[in-house]
Amino acid sequence: MSAAPSRGQVLNLYKQFIKNANQFNNYNFKEYFLRRSRESFRANSKIQDPVELAKVYRDAQFDLAVLKRQSIISQLYTFDKLVVEPVAEK
Amino acid sequence: MFRQLLRTATPLAHRQAAIATKRTSIVPQSLMRYYSASGLTKDDVTTRIVDVIKAYDKSLAAKPISLESTYNKDLGLDSLDTVELIVAIEEEFEIEIPDKVADELKNVGETVDYIVSNPDAN
Repeated sequence: MSAAPSRGQVLNLYKQFIKNANQFNNYNFKEYFLRRSRESFRANSKIQDPVELAKVYRDAQFDLAVLKRQSIISQLYTFDKLVVEPVAEK
Repeated sequence: MFRQLLRTATPLAHRQAAIATKRTSIVPQSLMRYYSASGLTKDDVTTRIVDVIKAYDKSLAAKPISLESTYNKDLGLDSLDTVELIVAIEEEFEIEIPDKVADELKNVGETVDYIVSNPDAN
């Protein structure tokens, strides 16, 4: 059983979620994972119980691994730009 | 044709060799600069950061943003929003802000100062 994560650890995990989600080539996936990360972190931000917190943190680390793999796979393919995407993307 | 090429090629090689020896003799190794100045002015950085903040949250676009604006109180961002904003700023300037430093950045002015002092920012 791992100890409850600190505030810094959680913020670092969130940062990694956002960074990896930003790397998706596909607009829909990118927006979905950004939205999903924001919502889940915000929903879990009220958790006080250390045991529950540790569990959520461990699950999130597992999800981050999935996210990293999928964002790399996404970068192997090219996707047509959607009309909603900004044209001059740097 | 081939002969002509040869004819032009040899003097060129000679000339290049001459230039090369000349250059090494003129510029001593120790005086050469191996870095380039980042060339970011404080005003430039400030406008770019303000643009990033306004692009990040549409509700902030109408608010006045000054160097003293704190993320938490003045802009109404919580810790998660701030992390996201820092990521957006990192991408804008193509740098990595370490977590320890990012934690200390409480307002726009501190962020501007950090970016200006960072030689990798561009």
